[in-house]
Amino acid sequence: MPVTYRLAKDFNIAANIIRAQVAPNQVGKLVLELAGDIDQLDASIDWMQAQNINVSFASREIVIDEDSCVDCGLCTGVCPTEALTLDPETFRLNFRRSRCIVCEQCVPTCPVQAISTNF
Amino acid sequence: MTTLRTIADINIKISQGSVKVLTVEALKARVAEVGVAQTAQEVDVVTTGTFEPMESSGAILNLGHTDPPIKIRQCWIDGVLTYSGFGAVDLYLGASQPTETSLNDNDGEDARERGGGHVIEDLIAGKALPLRATGQGTDCYPRSDINTLITRDSINQFYLFNPRNLYQNFLVGVNGGDRPLHTYLGPLQPQLGNAVYSNPGALSPLLNDPKLRLVGVGTKIFLGGGIGYVSWEGTQHFPLQKRLKNDTPIGPAATLALIGDAKQMSPKWVRGCHFKHYGPSLMLGVGVPLPILDESVVQACAVSDQELVAPVIDFSIPRRVRPTFGLVSYAQLKSGALTIDRKRVRTAPLASLHLSRQVAIELKEWIESGQFTLTEPIAEIPCDRTFIPQDSRGSQMNLT
Repeated sequence: MPVTYRLAKDFNIAANIIRAQVAPNQVGKLVLELAGDIDQLDASIDWMQAQNINVSFASREIVIDEDSCVDCGLCTGVCPTEALTLDPETFRLNFRRSRCIVCEQCVPTCPVQAISTNF
Repeated sequence: MTTLRTIADINIKISQGSVKVLTVEALKARVAEVGVAQTAQEVDVVTTGTFEPMESSGAILNLGHTDPPIKIRQCWIDGVLTYSGFGAVDLYLGASQPTETSLNDNDGEDARERGGGHVIEDLIAGKALPLRATGQGTDCYPRSDINTLITRDSINQFYLFNPRNLYQNFLVGVNGGDRPLHTYLGPLQPQLGNAVYSNPGALSPLLNDPKLRLVGVGTKIFLGGGIGYVSWEGTQHFPLQKRLKNDTPIGPAATLALIGDAKQMSPKWVRGCHFKHYGPSLMLGVGVPLPILDESVVQACAVSDQELVAPVIDFSIPRRVRPTFGLVSYAQLKSGALTIDRKRVRTAPLASLHLSRQVAIELKEWIESGQFTLTEPIAEIPCDRTFIPQDSRGSQMNLT
């Protein structure tokens, strides 16, 4: 079923495909960011569930691979909300998830590719 | 000044297990507590360390001869071009050489963000990597190509030979322009969005021996988790940089060329890295032991982040001489923010201060356990090198 087409056509929803793994005629996984009218969003989710599409809600967040991270702190300079900081005593990287707005500026900044988003 | 001990005295104490070693931070704390004279009496060796990107690094490899033999004309290890214009199967793998994506099995973003530094890290970690080479085809070296896998154990020599490491101080990068810049210091955001400094300040080996009195050709060091040596002055060595009254330079100054057996090293201390839209590089842990021969050594090592400065440079002007916003202390840089034109600018380090400390701690443990002795330098590092710019001859750039 052309899910994103139906979302756009029937519900006027902009579906940004973040990740997709769908083989033809098989079950797959599609990660979408949906933007549109709030009532239309609710209606579209009801519609998808009615089509036997298993809908689960994810909140995007960044993930730091502690084995790769060298605690250089380069990411702390580009983090607009100071969710990423260096501990003033140990100079190890601190991540305060509650302050993170998932702008993802830290992801390409990391020189050892230790930061990614969770989907 | 009265000599308190010689390197030979220290080595005897190391072999007897009675040597007193402090990391440079512990030494600074001890001086604050009991003063220079008593600290100099108590302590034999101070260990310094840094962990930072050092892109003027690379590895020499000798493959061993194939049958029939080959004189390598061009060679790629895991898609990274090596230099092969010398011995038949000698190669130089540069840390900042990018992976050629068309040659790598794993095309795409991953391959584009890799380079020589990652290949060096992987070989040190014991991984087998593909090697492809073409030969010149001579009477003595008839073979025209080779495709194989190499590991650090399947080749003769594998040693780091780094033309420029251990910068004695560096600069602070900012961007006063209106578009984001991608630099060797990482991203610099427009309108002074962030500031990046790359030297660990008071932890830095050569800022604790500002006149290179203790470090010279032949000095044994911690290099990438193995043993290395200072082999020469580094490229762009500039000891005549302006200095403060405490003899520390106000910007990039002395550099050292380092050498060491990569087969002994650890991927923990040799890390490939990549700066988006700039290219690959190598993060390296380097530790230098400083023997406390007399009180002046302790005096120099007592220098604090408040007494060390770096110039704040505007990278939005892409010229050799860029405008500066003046000098800032490392204490200010490490506080997390500085003020430029009444604007608060967040500062971030590029050196890992955490891992720099760990290098100094590890080297301290090596010395205390007797597995690392000190060496006498066999030649001094020159202190009178000027910094020569390269101006193209025969052409004139006209800015009017």
